[in-house]
Amino acid sequence: MIEEIDNFAKQFGAKIHLDERLIVKTQNRYFLLNDNLRKLLSKDFFYASTYLGRAENGKFLPSFNLLRLIAEKESNKIIVDKKTAWLFICGRDIFRQGIKSVMCSKKTGDHTLVLNEYEECLGFGKIICDLTIAREGVAVENLLDLGDFLRREKQTST
Amino acid sequence: MSGREFFADRYEKMGWKYENVQLKQAIRVNVMNAGDTASLAKRLTSLGIRIEKIPFLENGYWICKSRFSIGATSEYLSGLYSIQEAAAQIPASLFTELEDKTVLDACAAPGGKTVQLADLMHNTGAVIALDISEQRLIALSNQLERCRVKNTMVYCLDARKAEQLKTTFDCILLDMPCSGNFAADRNWFKRRTIKDVQRNATIQREILTETMKMLKPCGEIVYSTCSLEPEENELNIDWAIKNLNLQVQEINCHGQEALTNLFGKQLDRSIENARRIWPGQTQGFFICRLKRRELP
Repeated sequence: MIEEIDNFAKQFGAKIHLDERLIVKTQNRYFLLNDNLRKLLSKDFFYASTYLGRAENGKFLPSFNLLRLIAEKESNKIIVDKKTAWLFICGRDIFRQGIKSVMCSKKTGDHTLVLNEYEECLGFGKIICDLTIAREGVAVENLLDLGDFLRREKQTST
Repeated sequence: MSGREFFADRYEKMGWKYENVQLKQAIRVNVMNAGDTASLAKRLTSLGIRIEKIPFLENGYWICKSRFSIGATSEYLSGLYSIQEAAAQIPASLFTELEDKTVLDACAAPGGKTVQLADLMHNTGAVIALDISEQRLIALSNQLERCRVKNTMVYCLDARKAEQLKTTFDCILLDMPCSGNFAADRNWFKRRTIKDVQRNATIQREILTETMKMLKPCGEIVYSTCSLEPEENELNIDWAIKNLNLQVQEINCHGQEALTNLFGKQLDRSIENARRIWPGQTQGFFICRLKRRELP
C-alpha cells in the first residue's frame, strides 16, 4: 500500500517515512491516520484524518497534504515570485525569470515542488529546461496546483 | 400559509419588523494554519483586500473591499482562512472545552463548521462528521484537505442512525438541516410554506432524540439553525426540555434572548438563555447550548 506513496516521493528525491499501520484505503483513496483516530475508525468511512492521494489508472495522484509532507523533507523545490505564484495557481507553467531559488535537482525531466515566497506549497511540476542553463522561457511545466480546489468546487456544484 | 406577508406578519408578532437586508461577506481565520492574524491581514491588504474585525467573533473578519473573489487567493487555497458567514461562526465556538475531546458534527456538509471545530481543537482529539449526501461529502472532503484538517473522520450516514457508530461524545454539534431564511435566499418567500417548516421541525426532533443518546453524561450539545421559524427553534427546544431531559445552558454570544412566549404560548423560561439573531449584517440564526438535566 505504501509503495505507491514512496515511489511518488522519490520523484522529488525525497524519502518519507509513513507508518504503514496508520495508512488506510477506501476505494482508491489513501489516508494517514493518527493513533487516536485509528481507535475510532470503522470500515465504511468516507474520509479520515490526512488524505494522501488516490490511485487512478495505474497512476498515483497526490493530495496537497502529501506534497506538504514531502516539502518538509529534503526534496526538489523551487521558490517562485508573487506574480509567478499567482499564474501557477491559475494553471500556468513557470517561466525561468519567475524562479527565485532552486533546491536540489535542476535537471530536465525531474519533478519539483513549487513554493511561494512564504514557503507554502502551491503544487508541483516537471522541469522541462535545465535550470542551471535556462535564463528565460518556460522552465517548469505545471502538473498540479492549488487552483485544483476551485476546479473541484465547480465540478461538485454542477 | 406561505408568502412574504404571512411570514412577515409572524415575525412582527415575534417582535421583529421585516426589512430587506444586505448581508456582509465574512471570513474566519484558520489560526492553526495562519498563525497570527495580523500577518494574514497584511498579506490580504497587499492584495487589495480590506478586512475589519467582527466585534462579536474571535477570528471573524468582514470583507470591506476586494477587487476580486476572496475564494480565489492563494491564502484561501492554502487554508489560511475560510469563507464563513458571520452568524454561522458562532455555534462551534460555544462549547466550553474542545481540545482533546471527541466531537460529533452530525449534519456536517459542506464543512465550514467542521473545519472551525478542528481549528478550535488545534487538530487534537477527534471529530466525527456525518452527512446524508455523498455529493455534499465531496465538498466537505475538499474543505478538510484545503484547510489541512487532521483530526476528522467522515461517514456518509443519516444523523438519525448515528448510534451505528457505537461511540459516545463529549460534544455534539447539531447544525440542523432547516428551512433557512430570506436573508440568505432571495426566493425564500416563494419557495417556503409552513408545511416545510413543520416537516423540518420533525426531522430536527428526530435527530436530537437519536444523537443525544450518544452524549456523555457531562457532555454538551450545541443546537443551531439558520431558520427564523419558532417551530425549528424555541418550540423544538421547549419540546426537548420536556421530553428528552435536557436543560438549556447560559451562553454569552451575539444575538437577542430567545423567545419564551410565542403566539400566546408560554415556553420554559430557561429558553431565554438561547440566542435568536434576526437578519441584519448577518443572516438569521438560532443557537442554544444543551446539557443533560442532572437527576436530583
